[in-house]
Amino acid sequence: MLLRGKNAVVTGCLKGIGKKTLETFAEQGANVWACAQYADTDFEKYCVNLSERTGTWIKPVYFDLTDTDAIKAGVKTISSDKLPIDALVNVAGFTKDAIFHMTSMEQLKLIFEVNYFSQILITQYITKLMLRQKKGSVINIASISGLDGSHGQLAYSSSKAALIGATRTMSRELAPHGVRVNAVAPGVIDTDMNAYVPENVLAGHYNNMSIQRMGCSGEVANAILFLASDMSCYMTGQIIRVDGGMK
Amino acid sequence: MNTKNILDGKSAIITGCARGIGSAMLEKFAVHGANVWACVRKLTPEFAERCNELSDRYSVQIIPLCFDMTNKEEMKKAVQLVMKSEHKVNVLVNNAGITYNALYQLTPEAALREQMEINFIAPFLFTQNIVKLMLRYGSGSVINVASTAAIDANSGRSAYGASKAALSCATRALSREVGMQGIRANVIAPGITETDMITSMTDAVIAETVAGTDLRRIGSPSDIADVAVYLASDLSSYITGQVFRVDGGM
Repeated sequence: MLLRGKNAVVTGCLKGIGKKTLETFAEQGANVWACAQYADTDFEKYCVNLSERTGTWIKPVYFDLTDTDAIKAGVKTISSDKLPIDALVNVAGFTKDAIFHMTSMEQLKLIFEVNYFSQILITQYITKLMLRQKKGSVINIASISGLDGSHGQLAYSSSKAALIGATRTMSRELAPHGVRVNAVAPGVIDTDMNAYVPENVLAGHYNNMSIQRMGCSGEVANAILFLASDMSCYMTGQIIRVDGGMK
Repeated sequence: MNTKNILDGKSAIITGCARGIGSAMLEKFAVHGANVWACVRKLTPEFAERCNELSDRYSVQIIPLCFDMTNKEEMKKAVQLVMKSEHKVNVLVNNAGITYNALYQLTPEAALREQMEINFIAPFLFTQNIVKLMLRYGSGSVINVASTAAIDANSGRSAYGASKAALSCATRALSREVGMQGIRANVIAPGITETDMITSMTDAVIAETVAGTDLRRIGSPSDIADVAVYLASDLSSYITGQVFRVDGGM
């Protein structure tokens, strides 16, 4: 088990990549503060089952990323456990696609609020604790659209590009004190975000890939697992593309 | 997934196993449950003994494979031995390489040709042979060890860096050609690493380079070997054509 005895904070655990990361981490022996946008009984049951099956503890923590006070309260819940935090995985994020000229300032600000500002805020709080321990691994979930640009994703791609810049700078500042900071840039993954993408658009993406299929959330979770584990202990400031080899 | 042994049931070819990063890879691959053809230029009794020891300790098969990467006849024989084996090749790690430091204007032609020959042409040809086998099986992972010098174009590293840049480019092109046949190809670009290669650097240069890393330390061969294990394993099944900098953040 690659994360035995480690404690991790994972956001966006209700579904998709976050949920798969939660599951993978628990299976690998990690205890997880499973952060989610809202309280949900099915999710709580899921956490209890996962915890029993893997012999780890899973603590649901609820906060909405557009609510700064809620984020602060959520982080306080985590820090009040007074346990070491080995990994922080910022998965939660969202998109509302629109072409450049149709992107409203309101929409742009909302996407930046969730995909950028809130991520910085959470990471500031959690890494403050990590710096005290002089170790930790932060993994931000970016996107290939933050690196390559993407038609119709002005707000989303810029927010992810901003997160990538932040990842590199955080590495410069925090890694000298033992806290590594990396990002994963997923390509086309089988989550809700891609559920409504038209077939012909997907086919266009596949044509640009070496591995011509959609990726699974588990494949992204495994890259996150690698970056959270000691297997990547000499890697920091890196952006890992999990994209089936896109041109 | 039980990832106690994330390479269980896989067989890997690793070149340059005698020392440094290759030696660490050999051990890590064995720890994670892989059988290994451990390639070295010259087989010493010590190395044969180490292979036996690792085989026993981790219940895997470590088979020494002795050949000079620049000798076509010897390479052919090595490939034939692999072909005849009961094990299917799942992983190829081209780790063997040589270093060279000289200013561009002072790099002799012979040194330039030697860099390209050993760091680029030899692994290119070897990969052609092994990928041919992988294509039969319909799966495989190729991991080529380049260098951050291939990306950063450091002063005094023109010949070495160019040979590694060539290797890196060829690897990425290969990934596009064989991706649909189930074969992945990625590059590891180590930064400053504790091996014999750094003996050509002065202490002052080493100290300066280390100070330039975010982690403020030199990499160990096992740091690099861990990343190779990840890229060899199914944990990286959707990752291909990538260059992984393992450099402590430069």
